[in-house]
Amino acid sequence: MYGFEAMTFNIHGGYLEAIVRGHRAGLLTAADYNNLCQCETLDDIKMHLSATEYGPYLQNEPSPLHTTTIVEKCTLKLVDEYKHMLCQATEPLSTFLEYITYGHMIDNVVLIVTGTLHERDVQELLEKCHPLGMFDSIATLAVAQNMRELYRLVLVDTPLAPYFSECITSEDLDDMNIEIMRNTLYKAYLEDFYKFCQKLGGATAEIMSDLLAFEADRRAVNITINSIGTELTRDDRRKLYSNFGLLYPYGHEELAVCEDIDQVRAVMEKYPPYQSIFSKLSYGESQMLDKAFYEEEVKRLCLAFEQQFHYGVFFAYMRLREQEIRNLMWISECVAQNQKSRVHDSVVFIF
Amino acid sequence: MEVVDHETPSLENGKTDKEVEENANVLQFMDSMDAYLTLIHSLSSTLRRGWLELASARHSMGASRVNTVLLDHTSHPAATSLLVTQDEGKVDSGKPHFTLCKWASSSNENSLLGEKQSSQDKLHPQLRHRGSTELYEEKTSSENKASREVDDPVQKERSKSLSMFGTLVSPKLRAAQLSFEAALETLVEIANMRSEMVCTFDQVNMKLAGRKDEK
Repeated sequence: MYGFEAMTFNIHGGYLEAIVRGHRAGLLTAADYNNLCQCETLDDIKMHLSATEYGPYLQNEPSPLHTTTIVEKCTLKLVDEYKHMLCQATEPLSTFLEYITYGHMIDNVVLIVTGTLHERDVQELLEKCHPLGMFDSIATLAVAQNMRELYRLVLVDTPLAPYFSECITSEDLDDMNIEIMRNTLYKAYLEDFYKFCQKLGGATAEIMSDLLAFEADRRAVNITINSIGTELTRDDRRKLYSNFGLLYPYGHEELAVCEDIDQVRAVMEKYPPYQSIFSKLSYGESQMLDKAFYEEEVKRLCLAFEQQFHYGVFFAYMRLREQEIRNLMWISECVAQNQKSRVHDSVVFIF
Repeated sequence: MEVVDHETPSLENGKTDKEVEENANVLQFMDSMDAYLTLIHSLSSTLRRGWLELASARHSMGASRVNTVLLDHTSHPAATSLLVTQDEGKVDSGKPHFTLCKWASSSNENSLLGEKQSSQDKLHPQLRHRGSTELYEEKTSSENKASREVDDPVQKERSKSLSMFGTLVSPKLRAAQLSFEAALETLVEIANMRSEMVCTFDQVNMKLAGRKDEK
């Protein structure tokens, strides 16, 4: 058993835990997904979603709808709920909630830098940024020519500043450098988040350690698979893996030298939690790997709600909503492209 | 004694040579139309597969990584070009022939190799920046040589064109790229088939017009 969290947690965290558990009850069920999967048009999807908590966000959208519109409006709902929780939270929960958004902040920084490199309009890029990852000086990213300027001009005053120590060079930004920057930042963020949760201790530390370790391991597998056949060297690949997780350190050593998906499978099958994931795939196949990982993640996130008096429920709720939005995006794309037979390829049921 | 008349056209199954030639033209036209329709159908299914794979890649990598705002607006050489020539067989036919020149000409390849060298030079300074000793650098460079699989120039070109979405992209995005590449090849085949179809149709029309004039 942990410390006496049951005695003190509700003083500052009780209201928000109740709020987030209420939000959890609003997640779409298997019956909702079955109805959505049978829709013929995006307007049908809008009609079915009008009966859910997404209704007020979609009701004023004119036809014809686009899949990106559905995703944007559903994301707005998540942002509103997050902002409500953040403004009600006290320390250390407020810091914990902010940590959840740093991943989106990194994605936004990379989007702006990459788009600027490709001579895209800054306003256009800002419209495509994730709202959870916005910060005040984000538009100034467009003037930076290298990582040193990026840090000095903009990021030094953002929460991402501590993560830049391993990236700062005067080399001009190009596609490879940006990719390495993205993954190095994300690695530093995950490790920092992990340490923060360990400092919190108790049930939060235990539950979040498991969730973040899974995230780190999944990242390691994705980096390995995505870097097969590219110019990323083994050493650079190894440097992008986080320094924690079930695969650290021996699994990382083996993953770093993998040259195809079957070698990755051979490495992962040595770890029982991942053996079940890879057993769902046939040899040489990687198409369904994402869905298998998402299913495992959803299972772990749902288990976080089985315990009380910890912050893991907030992280779990945000991730479950993001999964729900991914599901809606996929269903919308299949309906829009008249490919309903493929809709169950990527939908992950939460309940 | 048989008298062979060389002036009247020879008969084959009751048809003249002219009629046989006309039938051959019509058959050629029908064959080319059939091939054209088959290619159209193939293009449709290839594009459907490509769009779904792109949506799957977007689902896997996230909307911020697979996005229209990442398309490269800088001026750069085309990776693939289309060559239009006249049909070599018949000078007067005017039938165009389309050839797809995929993945950079040799001149582009040289400049790209130069770019690759400079990008590798940029990469290595980062390694030297993060590495500590010369021994480590030597060991690193020999290990790196052994690990590099990108020997195929076509594969390099494919990776380069995908690099606007990042260097480490999902296999689903690569699959989408291959589907759209196949669709592009099919489009060129369709253009050639259409050109042939129009040509044989013109020949059939000419023959029919000639027969009407004779009557």
